Amino acid sequence: MNNKLLLPLLLFTIIGCSEGFNVEFSFGDSKSESSNLEIDNAFASTYAPMNSEPMLFKSANIYDGLGGEFRNYDLLLSEGKIIEMGESITAPGVMVIDATDKWITPGIIDIHSHMGVYSAPGVSTSSDGNEATSPVTAEVWAEHSLWTQDPQFALALKGGVTAFHVLPGSANLFGGRGATFKNVSQNTIQAMKFPGAPHSLKMACGENPKRVYGNRRQAPSTRMGNMAGYRTAWIEAAEYTDGMNEKDSDRRPTRDLAMDTLMGVLNGEILIQNHCYRAEEMAMMIELSKEFNYKITAFHHAVEAYKIADLLAEEGICAALWADWWGFKHEAYDMVQANIAIIDQARNGSGCAIVHSDDAVGIQHLNQEAAKAMAAGNRAGFEISKAHAMRWITSNPAKAAGILNQTGSIEVGKDADVVLWTGNPFSVYSRAEKVLIDGALAFDMNNPKIQPITDFDLGIIQPQTNRVQ
Amino acid sequence: MKKLFTTLSLLFLVAPVISETVLLKGGLVHSGNGGAAIIQDILISENTIVGVGNNLIIDGNTRVIEVSGLPVTPGLISPMSNLGIVEINSLDVTRDDESELLSAGFSIFNAFNPHSTGIPWNRSNGVTSAISTPSETSFPIFGLGSHFILDGSLEIKGSKDIAMFGRLGASYGSRAETLSLLESLLDIGKMANSMPVEEILELNIADQLELQAQDIIALGKVVNEDMPLVIETNRAVDILQALAMKQKYDLNLVLESVEEAPMVLDQIKASNTPVIIDPMDNIPNSFDELGSSLDLGKMLDQAGIPIMFSTQRSHNYHLMRQGSGNAVAHGMSYETAIKGMTQTVAQTFNLDNRGSIEPGKLADIIVWDGDPLEPASFPKIVMIEGQLQDLSSRSSKLTERYTNTENKPSSYKH
Repeated sequence: MNNKLLLPLLLFTIIGCSEGFNVEFSFGDSKSESSNLEIDNAFASTYAPMNSEPMLFKSANIYDGLGGEFRNYDLLLSEGKIIEMGESITAPGVMVIDATDKWITPGIIDIHSHMGVYSAPGVSTSSDGNEATSPVTAEVWAEHSLWTQDPQFALALKGGVTAFHVLPGSANLFGGRGATFKNVSQNTIQAMKFPGAPHSLKMACGENPKRVYGNRRQAPSTRMGNMAGYRTAWIEAAEYTDGMNEKDSDRRPTRDLAMDTLMGVLNGEILIQNHCYRAEEMAMMIELSKEFNYKITAFHHAVEAYKIADLLAEEGICAALWADWWGFKHEAYDMVQANIAIIDQARNGSGCAIVHSDDAVGIQHLNQEAAKAMAAGNRAGFEISKAHAMRWITSNPAKAAGILNQTGSIEVGKDADVVLWTGNPFSVYSRAEKVLIDGALAFDMNNPKIQPITDFDLGIIQPQTNRVQ
Repeated sequence: MKKLFTTLSLLFLVAPVISETVLLKGGLVHSGNGGAAIIQDILISENTIVGVGNNLIIDGNTRVIEVSGLPVTPGLISPMSNLGIVEINSLDVTRDDESELLSAGFSIFNAFNPHSTGIPWNRSNGVTSAISTPSETSFPIFGLGSHFILDGSLEIKGSKDIAMFGRLGASYGSRAETLSLLESLLDIGKMANSMPVEEILELNIADQLELQAQDIIALGKVVNEDMPLVIETNRAVDILQALAMKQKYDLNLVLESVEEAPMVLDQIKASNTPVIIDPMDNIPNSFDELGSSLDLGKMLDQAGIPIMFSTQRSHNYHLMRQGSGNAVAHGMSYETAIKGMTQTVAQTFNLDNRGSIEPGKLADIIVWDGDPLEPASFPKIVMIEGQLQDLSSRSSKLTERYTNTENKPSSYKH
């Protein structure tokens, strides 16, 4: 009967990613001058937007995802882009949708997902998120594990999620590369990949790596062992990067997939997403990043981020957080519901707070999680508006994923990734009525034909019906 | 008004109420019995509700608390928690929810720690009492749950060993074996009605199942004394198997999780079986849960089946508010949601004198700062048995410390 540990351990193996953002390293324009351009193009996105027609939303209430709130506004989408937002737009011949008393937001973005790598059903044959065979597995890519028929994608879509970042788990010091996806149903992984989005590298602090490897009587088994493991790898990566920059190709080292990833970080092309709960460990990771001259984009799970909110704001590091999960392990003990708000308000409001899920249920309700975090912040004495809090689930995660140039806000010229909500999105009673990705209707609450049903769902309970109707 | 209200509630925190009469005036009272909310006053004398209405007669010594239209509900009751018996899930040394020796008769009651940090946290979020349960094991019956009042007192208030908990479905080995094992256990329970426990212990089957006297006594209570048996199960056909077992042994059965219940609503309804659900869990986490959907709450409600709520994750049992709010967003009635967090739990588990705002009931009452089903809402007043509770928690202390801008090390901010 001694399976007490089993459930929490299973749970923990799916916990943990961390990401970071870096505005100056927006994807696409920062190709390394070193010798591996061809590497960057491997497994590139083949995403093509679904067919769309121009659409005009009339009399909507809009949160633009940047802190703005617009009442009774119109929004025009065409050819996959946001064309115009204004008080009275006319566009003859365009499909008009009456959005009176409804709300429009940017598509919701989750910076921390394991959909597709820990698919549903959660059976052992689909447990593809942790290559827990060595503490340094920077060579693996989460996207190579992705199952395109995971029914969780469509459930997240119904919650308004238009893009998500899939990370490896947190068993390892370096868990591997993460990738960003558009929430579209496609039969190949590349066809779902967000075009031009940078990779991330998942790193993990604290209890998980030291437990996984300590239990096997190998390093790391302590937090100091974790640090030694990171530093050893970065020393090797720095040498590898120098070697790859040799003009004489004969003097370059043999290509190494793990080192390619670490080099990508040192070159500013790959964003660090760092699973890290405790304040002093995050501060230590910042020191580490300075020692080896790389940038941390975001700390993930960061239950104690509020203790070093000013430091994170000064360093320009985002914190991707839950509204209230705690107690499942010791490093998640000091939970405060105002964590997200404290991060947001640090250094005169210059902090970068993100609500993340790390969970297939949570990803469907990020709007509600933001509502809880905002209310807790306001009870703690801040004055945070809904329009401002909307940033936590739209533009801030877009920034951390390196895709803010394309999505994450309602701005002219951006991808038409938008959600029409039945009511105010901070209310539990509001539902995503229409979800558009690149201007195409990906989900419509009122039209069963515009609700994706995966191959997995099809006829699986009874042949006449589908798993979800 | 809001400011005045805060001041008033602070006043009460500073000076805890000692045996007196209190009038909660003008709240939007959800009585918990499934009826619509109306503006009413609630008169509380000592630990008991003595009047609910609009023209209650009070004397000059009655303390009047203006509630001014804020929503009022009974204190929430978690039907399945690990409050007081698990501090940190990953640390075995902080867990008391599993027995190496006992199975059906394992009682967690004496392990309850009223100082566990989860208690003030859940209390400040509106949970005034909870059933704590043993954790799932490889054996299909895990043990007995007890009901605890979350006032943090070392003088533990609650009801010991009020229900037995188990499971049926994909887990360890074939579910056919699990079913047969469950029936063997219930047969043993039946024997306890007519045979001394010592003799049952001598039987081969008792030996094979490594049963102890406590296990047999507890099984006897389930079969012969109507103690609720809570079975976690999801697959439609497993639900039917559980209902057949209920009929065969005349059990006081409660079903938990039941993600495929929409396929067998008529049978659940006909058997008068209440259910505990997590309305937000629409993930087909296993091949037992393929029918999982956000419509579960609505379907059960429309069939008239009594519903209670569990939560996806540990430590935050108040999140059943968010869960039931989502169920309402998908078609469950609002008052079923409130009732499911209060009176339905009390009725199902025989927690007499709790779970509704009615004269004669113990005064476990929450005044909310907004709609209690909105996740952003929070209690203004938490009352347990007539006593106003301090709303602070370790979490609120940390918040105060780290929003304090004094220029000194955090260790000195207290």
